[in-house]
Amino acid sequence: MKSGATGNKMRLLRAVLAMAFVLSTFAISAGARVQSGAAPALREVTDETGRIVKIPQPVRRIVSLAPSLTETVYALGLQDRLVGDTDYCDYPADAAKKHKVGGAINPNMEEVAALKPDVVLVVKSLNRLETVRALEQIGIPVYSTDPHSVNDVVVSMKKLSGVLGVESAGIALYEKLEGRLAAIQERLSGAPVKRVMFVVWTEPLQSVGKKTFIADVLQHAGATSVVELNQDWPQFSLEEAVRLQPEYLVFASNHSEAVQNDVGALALKPGWSAMDAVKKRKIAVVSDAINRPGPRIVDAVEELARQLHPEVFSEKN
Amino acid sequence: MQPLTLGKVAVRCGILAVILFVVVVIALKFGAVPVSLYGLAKDLLGVLIGRSSEISSEYGMIIREIRLPRIALGIFVGASLSVAGTSFQALLRNPLADPYVLGVSSGAAVGSIVALIIEPHLALRPEIAAVFTPLGGFLGATVTIAVVYFLGRRQGQMDSNTLLLSGVITGSFLSAVIILLITMLPSSSVRSMAYWLMGDLSTPMAPILGWVLRVGFFAGFALIYLTASDLNLLLAGEKEAMHLGVDVRKVQILVYLAASALTGLAVAVGGAIGYVGLLIPHVMRLIFGTDYRMLLPATAFGGAIAAVIADTVARTVAAPNELPVGAITAMAGAPLFIYLLRRRLA
Repeated sequence: MKSGATGNKMRLLRAVLAMAFVLSTFAISAGARVQSGAAPALREVTDETGRIVKIPQPVRRIVSLAPSLTETVYALGLQDRLVGDTDYCDYPADAAKKHKVGGAINPNMEEVAALKPDVVLVVKSLNRLETVRALEQIGIPVYSTDPHSVNDVVVSMKKLSGVLGVESAGIALYEKLEGRLAAIQERLSGAPVKRVMFVVWTEPLQSVGKKTFIADVLQHAGATSVVELNQDWPQFSLEEAVRLQPEYLVFASNHSEAVQNDVGALALKPGWSAMDAVKKRKIAVVSDAINRPGPRIVDAVEELARQLHPEVFSEKN
Repeated sequence: MQPLTLGKVAVRCGILAVILFVVVVIALKFGAVPVSLYGLAKDLLGVLIGRSSEISSEYGMIIREIRLPRIALGIFVGASLSVAGTSFQALLRNPLADPYVLGVSSGAAVGSIVALIIEPHLALRPEIAAVFTPLGGFLGATVTIAVVYFLGRRQGQMDSNTLLLSGVITGSFLSAVIILLITMLPSSSVRSMAYWLMGDLSTPMAPILGWVLRVGFFAGFALIYLTASDLNLLLAGEKEAMHLGVDVRKVQILVYLAASALTGLAVAVGGAIGYVGLLIPHVMRLIFGTDYRMLLPATAFGGAIAAVIADTVARTVAAPNELPVGAITAMAGAPLFIYLLRRRLA
């Protein structure tokens, strides 16, 4: 009796396993590789994260997974080759009309693959590594940029122009932006450096660390962040902020009035009300471009420099 | 009650397999890129009967390289979680037991985060780096399970209530550790982690991981299935089972280890996908009764079907945006669980 039951059990097990295995082999018969037609010329480039990428030449179909890179593609005059971008790509206005592949963090792999891009552009600080690996796995080349400063951004755009086969446009853009940056530096020379706090979020107070790209934008605009932390987006003690008494609070927003209203409300709250910059409404509002390591970063530097150093910019104008 | 025969189990599993197949075909049809059901069915049939080995249409690449691997991932993650849930419930004779209540998912999360933190300092080869985080998750899960197991013993015996309580407490302690660790992560990794914590099947994994998951599932399932009759006897109680000749301690340790390995694998690749391990065993028990020889394969199919459906919803309702599959399973699972509970009480 006992042995019969065991035998039955084993047979049951075998039957169940066999059935499951048939199903699973069906599910994984997907292993076959994609067969490619006439092999296009491949160019091997090293991207800014050190990955070696083989990109078909010439690059005809580009998908951008970051608003800053979309802007760069436009600035290089390649908008006609941009076949897809993210929900957040809203500048220039035309970019909003491109085919959307989802968000920057969670793009839809199917949408990207269906666009048959020659190259997908990503930024290391925004996009996920998993996205890069997933695209790589299905044979789509991914070029990643990784700028950490304003100068990195400008150089990175020039490098990208080479990868996309429009080096001369890239050099022209590079020289124009470098020229504007140099002009701002010249005006600011001798002006006192303003101590500021960049406010990412007010409740709780969140600022930027010294290694961030935004901290470097502040430097270029003749300012320095009072927050000197290694963490990128630290939640900062309001007490400490009051003790440091920054001369200006800097906000990133495309709606200046809304920020002024918000600060009006903050002025009524304990802690904030003790901050001189809040009391005297020493507020600088810079456009959202400051969050995007793209071509408009120089606009952001200029905007900020004008607000923080009005005396320098008014006397020469 | 009629005795359970091999034929009966085979027929029922066959029906479940057909349902799974239909769900897979439907899941293959839906997605951001439109695919015709007719062409798809024709192509799939061609592949299945061996006449062709290609899905040779416009969307072939998307089906083959993106949708099918993802559905396969869903099948194995769902099946692993629900088989693990069934096993834990049998072992602890407690309907609340599931992989998450026992703290395993928090352990896996801590392991993954630690892996993410140390990975940049190790200069790993790319193929190793790709499996490093899931490996960390698996180690985290196994260590947590071992800790919970030892905390949950009383006088050398496995005690159901003590084990559940130590699972809950270990889980909440590890959640605090997760929050602390996340502040140490660079911002780009925080985003990856957030997705993982919500349960995510959208990220295709390295092929080698897929094989580990498949082989691991079949090995774990086979081990647990071998004890199915003993689990049936355990339903009556540990002492009673012992008197009937069951080596209770051996069965407990074997099933506990196998179910934990299944959980660790599923969580390491799929993140925290709740309710599959808790709810599917209950539903299947209502349909097929409590005989584990039938219940175990039924929950494997049930978990696979549930995970594939949930993931299909996750990737289609807000397309081209993706929702985390864990949110879908919890939104559907919690009300359903309450419904089953109320029905049982009434």
